[in-house]
Amino acid sequence: MNFEITFTPEQQEFQIRVRDWLKRNMPKGIEHPADPANLTRGGYEKQRELGHRLALEGWLYPTYPKEFGGGGLSPNEALIIEMELEKYDQILPPYYDSGGKLAAASIMVWGTQEQKSIFLPQILKGEVRTWQLLTEPEAGSDLANIQTTAIKNGNKYTVNGQKIYVGSSHGAEWSWMLANTDPGGKRHGNLSWFIVPMDLPGITWAPMDLIFAGNENGALSGFKNTVYFADVQIPTENLIGGENNGWQVADTHLEIEHGLMQGSLLGDHNLRRTLNACRKLKKRGNPLIADPSIQEILAELYIDSEVTRLFHIRIHWLRSSGQKISYQGPQAYLQMKRQALRAAKHTQDILGPYALVMDDKLSPEDGFIEVQQRGSIVAQHPGGTVEIQKLIMSRKLGLGKPSMKYGSKH
Amino acid sequence: MVANTSSMDLSLTETQEMLRSTIRSLVSQEFPTQTLLDMDSKKNPFTTASWNKLTSSGWTSLLIPEIYGGEGGSLTDSAILFQELGRGPVPGPHFSSSVLGTLILLEIGSEDQKAQLLPELAAGKEIIGLAHTESEYDHEIVGMAASETHDCYILNGTKLFVQDVLGTTQLIITALLQPNKLGLFLVNSSTYGLEIQELDGWSTGVSNVHLNHVKIPKSSLLGTETSNGWVELFAAVERALPVLCAYQIGSCEAVFDMTVKYANKRHQFGVPIGKFQRVQDHIISQINYLDAATLSTYEALWKLDEGKETAKSSVHLAKALTSEAHYQICNASHEVHAGLGIMREYGLTLHTKLSRTLYHYFGDPKYHKTQLIRSLNL
Ligand SMILES: Cc1cc2nc3c(=O)[nH]c(=O)nc-3n(C[C@H](O)[C@H](O)[C@H](O)COP(=O)(O)OP(=O)(O)OC[C@H]3O[C@@H](n4cnc5c(N)ncnc54)[C@H](O)[C@@H]3O)c2cc1C
Repeated sequence: MNFEITFTPEQQEFQIRVRDWLKRNMPKGIEHPADPANLTRGGYEKQRELGHRLALEGWLYPTYPKEFGGGGLSPNEALIIEMELEKYDQILPPYYDSGGKLAAASIMVWGTQEQKSIFLPQILKGEVRTWQLLTEPEAGSDLANIQTTAIKNGNKYTVNGQKIYVGSSHGAEWSWMLANTDPGGKRHGNLSWFIVPMDLPGITWAPMDLIFAGNENGALSGFKNTVYFADVQIPTENLIGGENNGWQVADTHLEIEHGLMQGSLLGDHNLRRTLNACRKLKKRGNPLIADPSIQEILAELYIDSEVTRLFHIRIHWLRSSGQKISYQGPQAYLQMKRQALRAAKHTQDILGPYALVMDDKLSPEDGFIEVQQRGSIVAQHPGGTVEIQKLIMSRKLGLGKPSMKYGSKH
Repeated sequence: MVANTSSMDLSLTETQEMLRSTIRSLVSQEFPTQTLLDMDSKKNPFTTASWNKLTSSGWTSLLIPEIYGGEGGSLTDSAILFQELGRGPVPGPHFSSSVLGTLILLEIGSEDQKAQLLPELAAGKEIIGLAHTESEYDHEIVGMAASETHDCYILNGTKLFVQDVLGTTQLIITALLQPNKLGLFLVNSSTYGLEIQELDGWSTGVSNVHLNHVKIPKSSLLGTETSNGWVELFAAVERALPVLCAYQIGSCEAVFDMTVKYANKRHQFGVPIGKFQRVQDHIISQINYLDAATLSTYEALWKLDEGKETAKSSVHLAKALTSEAHYQICNASHEVHAGLGIMREYGLTLHTKLSRTLYHYFGDPKYHKTQLIRSLNL
């Protein structure tokens, strides 16, 4: 056995190349505010600019095929790019984009050759950024209960309805969505999957006032939106995977969202920040980190973070060696959600009111700790709640289906 | 077998029931969610107007003995009232003035000071708060020293993470007179050199109090020659804590109620989500936390009101359980509400934020567990 992620000599050279490249190409003044709500328009544009530059090298979505705008690289090379970006507090892609993260996978599987060659390069080269429009007031965990309708008329679909908890701040060029193309039709057999340009007439959106907007996959998402559709005309060419086949198309990206896209091989930021705060803050003359009762809580934080790392190491190994991933995806996702919530409490146990305050002088670690307190609550819900992750894990483990073997392939 | 429980009774008296229902309807009338949200977002912060809404019902005088113009009520009475305020949760210096501040004055005030101040507090004309904690946020540590001149005291420094002092007319500020003697000074909130700085973040009602060479007359030192300061402060805190717990319990109750209601109302997969065992688990954990907190708190109150010797350990038990309960009940509610719960306008996050704020106020659960074991003399 070998638990170390090892890079070949070529990959090591690649790492040096990426490092040098970033030195030259990182836009000046790129931001990483503690609270994503504070990401300025200018800061967002710099992130997009970095995205464009990375895309020219094939590094924005490194593992996708070159012919569609990806880099044709291995998971290890993608990891190298992420490791180097991490040194600038940036991630891949450097902004919230569920186009390349999720939708591209569905288009790869379900799109026609023509759709692939039209949609994928724009997404994978960062020319557009894309929001995901799934959730509705009546369709949360029960995603199949979508009420937004898309009714065919000629070569267009007329779309009406409302989506919530969508995207991020500073807008998007595209979105992808599930809509009901057969109201009254069979559950799971009445949905269709569309790519939607956000500048179509009839689409409007308004920000939602949440205690935290989410930090999905580390991306600064700013705020979530409600998106309204009023008689929006979507061309039939934008339907992916055929009419009423949307549930299958969505399954491809939901699988990824349920744990396969979490890149937490890069270290635990909250742990690092809490340790920093414990070195600086003092109690009765000694730094907190020297206090045995605090060390005990730090050990809990550390252990939890190691479990997360190990779960993700395994996923990286399974993926790099082309093996099937089953319950391990939602397991890792569940662990990350729970870890975040436990970490918030441990951190407050250690830092007391310093963990809650947002103040130039008093906040440890520039306010990132306070943000984690709110963010950890919010992190329980996106991509399926904790209960839903457990449900998916149980299904993958074949629970309640006596004929299936433990961990069987499906 | 019938045990002799004829004297045992966990119910409220008729008067207490009346107090509860009066305050409950007052709170729901005067402090609907939108009003509380506006207060929280500082669109319409705590004002004397919202204070007056409550004082007109006369409850600021509840803990004040009749000879000082009060009602001479019990701690349990006060807890019943604060439990209802917690259901809002109604923010403001209510606990800091009518419970903590009042009890501190009763413990340490000289006869003159009590006779002068308590009637004003009873009438709701003066509102007081306590500025005590400093950079280590440990209520057992004070580093600030009061320097004495021939005609006054001078205070310099900052009190950090002070709870609910916005809107107060007077502050009780602690500073060392001698290494083991704590001075409690009653200082007008608008004294020159005193600045209250509200703090932002994931907490409710927290401020810094900056003292820049604040000169105060000698008469502002509370107590007499024989006062120790620490002893009286801690005696008052011990009596005040279960009332604070009751406030937290009210918040827990409100959160529990909204969770149950939502679990029955919200449908997914064609059924109310309350049908899912995983959702039921969250709600069962809420009521277990809630009942443990409520029973321990009211037992502590009863012991304090009856002068039982074991009251001290009960107070630590109650605060350790209640802070944990408040924290976890809010978390469970977020699980059940999922997306809806994190929307500010829904109102749940007012409780969540409060649960975090009060979690470590006058000692976090770890502190109270340590004190509990100490006080049990095991
Ligand atoms: C920060 C954030 C970002 C998000 N980003 C997006 C986005 O970009 N695009 C998008 O489309 N959506 C997004 N969402 C929406 C998210 O996917 C939903 O909030 C989530 O799926 C839960 O749906 P709900 O909030 O309606 O809760 P509900 O489904 O109403 O759940 C309520 C409770 O019932 C439980 N429950 C429901 N069904 C079951 C069951 N079968 N068994 C056991 N328990 C059950 C849930 O676990 C939960 O405890 C985001 C949400 C958040 C909070």
